[in-house]
Amino acid sequence: MPDAADIERLRAEFQAALAQASAGEAIGALRDRYLGRKGGVVASLMKSVAGAAPADRPLLGRLANEFKREVEARLDEARARIEAGRPVAGAVDVTLPGRPVVLGHLHPLTIVRQQVEAIFARMGFEILEGPEIEDDYHCFEALNIPEEHPARDMQDTLFLAHPVPQNAPASPGTRAGSGARRENRPATLLRTHTSAMQVRYMEAHPPPARIVAIGKVFRRDNPDLTHTPMFHQFEGLLVDEGVTLADLKGTLTAFLREMFAPDARVMFRNSFFPYTEPSADVFIGCVFCAGGGCPVCKRTGWLEILGSGMVHPAVLEAVGYDPERYTGFAFGTGIERVAMLKYRVGDIRLFYENDLRFLEQFSF
Amino acid sequence: MKLLVSWLRDFVDVSVPIPELASLLSMRGFEVAAIDPPPPGPLAPPWDPASAGLGTPASALPDAVIDFEITANRPDCLSVIGLAREAATTLRVPLKPLPGTSTSGTGSTSSTSGTSSTSSTSGTSPSNTSPALSVFLDDPDLCPRYAAAVVDVRVAPSPAWLVNRLTAAGVRPINNVVDVTNYVLIELGHPLHAFDLDRLEGRQLRARRARAGERLRTLDGEDRELSAEMLVIADQTTPQGLAGIMGGAASEVWSGTRTIALESAYFKPASIRRTSKRLGLSTEASSRFERGADINLPAHALDRACALMELIGAGRRRGGTLDCYPAPRQPVTVGLRRDRIAALLGVPIADADVEAIFAGLGFAASPAAGGWDVRVPTARVDIAREADLIEEVGRHYGFDRIPSTFPALRETPPRPDPAIIRTHRLRTVMTAAGFSEAIGYSFIERAAAAPFASTGPADAPPGAEEADRLLVPLAYPLSELFAVLRPSLLPGLLDGVVRNRRRDTPDVRLFEIGSCFSSKGGERQRLALAWAGAGRPAHWATGDEAVDFFHVKGAIERLGQALRVPLRFEPATAGWLVPGRAARVSSGATPLGLLGQLLPALADARQMPGNDPVYVAELDLEALHALVPATDVQVTPLPRFPSVVRDVSIVVDEGLPSEQVRATIRSAAPDTLVSIREFDRYQGQGIPEGRCSLSLRLTFRAPDRTLTDAEVQQAMEGVLDALKAAHQAVQR
Repeated sequence: MPDAADIERLRAEFQAALAQASAGEAIGALRDRYLGRKGGVVASLMKSVAGAAPADRPLLGRLANEFKREVEARLDEARARIEAGRPVAGAVDVTLPGRPVVLGHLHPLTIVRQQVEAIFARMGFEILEGPEIEDDYHCFEALNIPEEHPARDMQDTLFLAHPVPQNAPASPGTRAGSGARRENRPATLLRTHTSAMQVRYMEAHPPPARIVAIGKVFRRDNPDLTHTPMFHQFEGLLVDEGVTLADLKGTLTAFLREMFAPDARVMFRNSFFPYTEPSADVFIGCVFCAGGGCPVCKRTGWLEILGSGMVHPAVLEAVGYDPERYTGFAFGTGIERVAMLKYRVGDIRLFYENDLRFLEQFSF
Repeated sequence: MKLLVSWLRDFVDVSVPIPELASLLSMRGFEVAAIDPPPPGPLAPPWDPASAGLGTPASALPDAVIDFEITANRPDCLSVIGLAREAATTLRVPLKPLPGTSTSGTGSTSSTSGTSSTSSTSGTSPSNTSPALSVFLDDPDLCPRYAAAVVDVRVAPSPAWLVNRLTAAGVRPINNVVDVTNYVLIELGHPLHAFDLDRLEGRQLRARRARAGERLRTLDGEDRELSAEMLVIADQTTPQGLAGIMGGAASEVWSGTRTIALESAYFKPASIRRTSKRLGLSTEASSRFERGADINLPAHALDRACALMELIGAGRRRGGTLDCYPAPRQPVTVGLRRDRIAALLGVPIADADVEAIFAGLGFAASPAAGGWDVRVPTARVDIAREADLIEEVGRHYGFDRIPSTFPALRETPPRPDPAIIRTHRLRTVMTAAGFSEAIGYSFIERAAAAPFASTGPADAPPGAEEADRLLVPLAYPLSELFAVLRPSLLPGLLDGVVRNRRRDTPDVRLFEIGSCFSSKGGERQRLALAWAGAGRPAHWATGDEAVDFFHVKGAIERLGQALRVPLRFEPATAGWLVPGRAARVSSGATPLGLLGQLLPALADARQMPGNDPVYVAELDLEALHALVPATDVQVTPLPRFPSVVRDVSIVVDEGLPSEQVRATIRSAAPDTLVSIREFDRYQGQGIPEGRCSLSLRLTFRAPDRTLTDAEVQQAMEGVLDALKAAHQAVQR
């Protein structure tokens, strides 16, 4: 008759045999050997327990039943394990690469441009584009840039060899205009700033003006790490009753914090531009060193990011706005400059090489 | 402007550490480029208390050289005194008087000797004469003031403090006489020039325009040709200096010079700028005169120079100042209203602060109704109107103390420009079609541009001569690479393809949206794309597929669908496209652009590696945008009854455009025909030479019932009969 030690020995034998069995056939054989209806190890054990002394039967019966359940459970587990590893009909190698779905990439300058447009549109500004070729009046004269100013000579400005017909819009933007505007004059130069568009807008619309002009501008600079003869600029203008330098600070601080970081530090420093008075350069805390000082910010902890100022009364007078009644502010910077700081691009020329290894780094 | 702080201390008691001083002035508009240690060696002038053993020697205080970037509107701050006024205003301390020249200079401030000053009798130039020197002002327009003094000198090296101060300011020491003129230049900002009097023929100085053919060897050794628009300082016969820019070599002060004529003048800024630019010669003097010197400073600067020469034993003045100043300029008075300060800055500023700021800057502010009348020193050439005064108040009050507010919206914001929205939608379509966005320069090489010159992207190619006339060249291009405005986006995209392929990126899809230019049509917006390499990217399951015409056509068709503009394609020719693989795309009667395979010779000319085809397309965006419906999509109800599909294969001439086949089918079929789709085109075994097999799938559907087989069968028979009649089509 078996005793508890015998059942324990059977259990040890089963475990050893199971450990040896790795293939499906071996597991099947084990099942036959242990769980076969006739002559199976478990069936034999049950039979002999039935013949045990009545006093031993409850204990031995319980142990035998436990052993049976364990054998069944372990064999089921082993079979499931082996079946899981067996290829299913029609199975695919999920680790092979998927079929490429080609999605092009927006240019980083477009991504920044769309952000700029979105931020200012939410602040109620109208976004304007405009011609790249301009006439002298809109590019310089109307902006209080005197005849003798260096910006107006060959040093800085790219002139056309011959005048070309000008296709500037009669009334820029979608707001109803006054219609009072100058004739289109032939274009003689490549615009050096987008301010020309602001002049065109103010000529065609009575105040208030709340606009951002955005697009390509051109300077006589040979390409290097930080210069290209063409770059993108956006320039904003807000003219209304009661607009102050404090409004300029609030608007530009909000823009910069949305563009760079919600807690960006912003500083306004007096500067000089012919078309604004007072004028201010706008700085953000250096994004490279968090203000600690690094070569990029020349150890100042600050990076110059915008030029700005209160619109010069002469500019308002030139477009027929009454500077006694209206005040305003203007601001501008290069989209490349913003993109270089945001994406840490070290060489501005990369924006114009159209190298897919560069472009494809920008997702939406 | 390199400012030696111990020099600044001659005028201002600087109580704050140097970095703080730099930062305070920086906030007021004087950007700091660098702060460097002072040069070694003695820097204390004779008037420093250290030299006399009295008080706290300035030389014992911290010292440094602060390099300020002075904006073009502030020539007055290209001097120690100008920055001292700013520092004094900033620190709210008084400006100290000019040191070291108690009385010696001031005894002869005005012209006392010779004939009376500024004698301007009719027909003759203003002039001023003493026994030693005569001064003539022939051109008061270009030279409104000319003053000079005679000084007997002993030329020798300057004392160490003077040499070191000049070195700190970035000026090379030469000898005691020249050094004193440079010292005054840095200290007061007024350029002076010393002539060797014995070399001046007729002992005279004359400010006049150069005469045709005159030449002058300047101090830098260059022999320069002069023109009539240039102002010179001449003796009786010969130019001896380029007015306000550089002296002449012939009358240069040298070790043997015994007497000098010391010039202190005011020249018209535009004239100096023009001459400086014409000659490519920019100096410390010209950079000050061209921005605007102080017309009321010359006599004072002369006195200062003479006093310093006496102080260091360089020379002694003989006689007074010969001053020609025919039309003395008075300081202007500009009105400032109190409420305009707050209206512009957004914060009211206390009267006491306003007045302290003006006092510090040397402006005389006298109370007037509602504000002040402010008399502006003539050194401040940047101040002309009220806004200029408010800037002075604002920057010294401190931009950082002005609050941040948000401007009120008083009107409904205007609706966005539909053109911008459409352009952004085009970008979405193009990127979804796998094209990455390129941005190229608006000016390109003439050779790259010439093959693409046209009046519009859909227009017939012009002749070579006409093409050349259509290009828009720049007057003085930066280089050959940027010579003409781009007539098309394609040369730039081609260069993008070539660049990527040279950098081991063979599969390239690029698009660009931008302006193109022609001399006739001006500036027009276009959209273009270029596609090279794989039409479908390589994958282990399918292999790859090279781009062909129909890939590009598919992209353009998709664009048309996205904009709801129906497009039509027809064979075309263009100078830059392979014949037989070029199409014109139009909508209705409006031509929109061209697409096809780029001529391989054009890719070869840009050194493209390999000889894979490059497919391109270019559309006139303005023409396309004009066709985009302004109305919203109006939904078509979904079909309620099933459709019936019939396939048909016919053999037709290989040259027959499928569009004609479709047109024949459409005209022969009843209204229940809803679509025709080609699903196979086959040539080869079983098909006669010159013919091709075309398989089409026709879909029929009625909006109000289920079609019967008989109905569809009848329709198909009609279609086949029509195809037979029109195209000799044979059913397979």
